[in-house]
Amino acid sequence: MAGLIKNLRVTQTGSGSRTLQEAHRRSMDFFREACRALPAIMDRYNLQEVTTLADLRSKIAAEFRKHSKVSNLKVVDMLVFKGQEELQYCVDHSKQRHHLLGQYIIGKEGLAGDVHKLGETDHGESEFLKNFYRGNN
Amino acid sequence: MRHAVRALHSCVLRRLQVQVQLDLPLKASVTPATRWCRRMFSDEAHATHLDRGEVVARVLDVVKTHPKADPTKVTESASFQDVGLDSLDTVELVMSIEEEFAVAIPDAVADKISSCPEAIEYIASHPSAK
Repeated sequence: MAGLIKNLRVTQTGSGSRTLQEAHRRSMDFFREACRALPAIMDRYNLQEVTTLADLRSKIAAEFRKHSKVSNLKVVDMLVFKGQEELQYCVDHSKQRHHLLGQYIIGKEGLAGDVHKLGETDHGESEFLKNFYRGNN
Repeated sequence: MRHAVRALHSCVLRRLQVQVQLDLPLKASVTPATRWCRRMFSDEAHATHLDRGEVVARVLDVVKTHPKADPTKVTESASFQDVGLDSLDTVELVMSIEEEFAVAIPDAVADKISSCPEAIEYIASHPSAK
């Protein structure tokens, strides 16, 4: 499994999916593989205090859900391939802890948005400052 | 002298024939004699089939704590779609069940689990579910 052996190739090439069912099956297989690699990833990056397995699973499911409306088979295959590549980087420790924290655990909204997520306490001082941190994007 | 001994040796050996009784049945049935020498390979040897009530309680618990599931609709005979989950949520739920019971469900089997009774049935019959 991807999590146990470093440098095991997760990405798969080959002939593309021919039907939507096959593409769906491919993406679900990849989801299962990602979930199975999660305990090793949590171990490698010391994420035990920061998040739980269930939470990470939900985050991965949310990433999948972003592309739930895609129906072009080639696009689905490409998305699965990119996802597998991302998983490969996480498993191989090519990424670092702050990458995972920023991209998945806290997420983009946490970094430049709601300051509560960064762990700062809110004393109710300044709405202006909160909007300032949140930015205009 | 040596030849005589050898001749006697071969004569004796030819006469001595152990009666082999092939009355063992072809299929290994568990007779009192064979019970104690049944080979216990790992899954069978450490089989701790969980109590069914406990399996039901724990599976329903896992389903209820899924963020997208509607806890009021979770019953022992509900399908995951009734509870409000789509196909991606179903896969995620099956992975949660795998984590809860410390088993590894093969993909082909996992694809078929789409309701509470199926999940309960699988876990209850899995020999090394914890």
